[in-house]
Amino acid sequence: MSMAKPNLEAREKILAKLRGRELVNCFQCIKCTSGCTALKLLELKPHEIIKLVNLGFVDELPSSDIIWTCVTCLKCVQRCPQKASPYHVIMALRNIAVEKEAKVPEGYLKAVSQILETGLIETPKKIVTRKMETVDRDCLKLPKINPPKENFQAVFTKTMEEK
Amino acid sequence: MSLREVLPKFDIELVDLRESVCCGDPIKSVNNFTAVYLGARVLALASLTGLDDLLVPCNRCHFTISEANDTIKNAKTGEKIKTLLREEGLEYNPNIKIWHTIDLLHDLVGLKKIKKAVTKPLKGLKVASHEGCQIIRYSDLGRVDDAENPKKLDELIIALGAKTVDYAEKLDCCGSALMYSHPDSALSLAGSKLKAVQNLSVDGLVVSCPDCQLMFDARQKDAGTTVGAKLNLPVVYYTQLLGLALGIEEKKLGLYLNQSPADQVITKISA
Repeated sequence: MSMAKPNLEAREKILAKLRGRELVNCFQCIKCTSGCTALKLLELKPHEIIKLVNLGFVDELPSSDIIWTCVTCLKCVQRCPQKASPYHVIMALRNIAVEKEAKVPEGYLKAVSQILETGLIETPKKIVTRKMETVDRDCLKLPKINPPKENFQAVFTKTMEEK
Repeated sequence: MSLREVLPKFDIELVDLRESVCCGDPIKSVNNFTAVYLGARVLALASLTGLDDLLVPCNRCHFTISEANDTIKNAKTGEKIKTLLREEGLEYNPNIKIWHTIDLLHDLVGLKKIKKAVTKPLKGLKVASHEGCQIIRYSDLGRVDDAENPKKLDELIIALGAKTVDYAEKLDCCGSALMYSHPDSALSLAGSKLKAVQNLSVDGLVVSCPDCQLMFDARQKDAGTTVGAKLNLPVVYYTQLLGLALGIEEKKLGLYLNQSPADQVITKISA
């Protein structure tokens, strides 16, 4: 077994995605982890992620399931006294996981293809009421949902190439 | 539906966008640039209407579009986004004000006007409120209420003659974002909060975000199974309560569409 080595180049890549948020100022006060919604169920420890990124131990993180357990409640961004913002670090790591073609929860990949196809994350559905009556947008007299114009797909695909 | 019914009562006219498109929220995890593009695209579509105000009732959409708007201030990213929008024949408009149901009603319409418009006060109704996460955090971005002690939704409920309760789990998340990757954990978060609220012996839970509503209302049975609790808690939108207090027919407010026992609320206020 070999010891993990810091990867400073990969670390820079993460920092570049944070647009000036001062990660190095983190002094491990653990305010983020103590208030973390995901900690209760899934043992996400945001302060550990910040520490690992600061030290450059970033190769394992994008392929770890832990980065996909964040609920995005934003309490850590709000409460961080040093503006290190674990949420944004986790989002950057998720983006890198996609770039590296690491294992990404299927739901997210489905979302991409769904938006590309229809412009929406989910197509409008029929629902069954408490009295077992089936209703849809038409019978509720809600306005029609228009799909995006043609050029949307081409531009959307272009934006996905941006790293 | 209830939003479309209540806003005209306060002389607010709603105009639908040319097309319905994703705000970019789920794409943030995949490619942040694309998410910013989609958020900016909503603002550009809003600009096509010739109006300066955009109402975004969903907390996550509100956050994603607000953060996109902030990211565009960065000259390099902003230029790239604007160029791409032009390829779609769209133009980014920095002057659009992004509203949420809560600040639109609380700050723009105002509690006084709402109180005055109430024809059927919701006397005797006691509810818990849930403002949600992304609408109150993070403050640096400019959010609609205080991050740690949100009060606006409670004040809006009290304006209708109902009572609210303060409770320990008030800031707990509905779990919705985990539905993409860890659905059981998502339902467990929703279930724990519902269980706590049910134990308060209130008449219901009031939300304003459609994503939170989906978790607490439509997925209530699944959430109950996940946490091993028998849940039977009415979950309603604030605008549904507001509509009832304004004397609008319950059918028009879509109360029969809630999957949770919303009729309990109606029974309570007509008692």
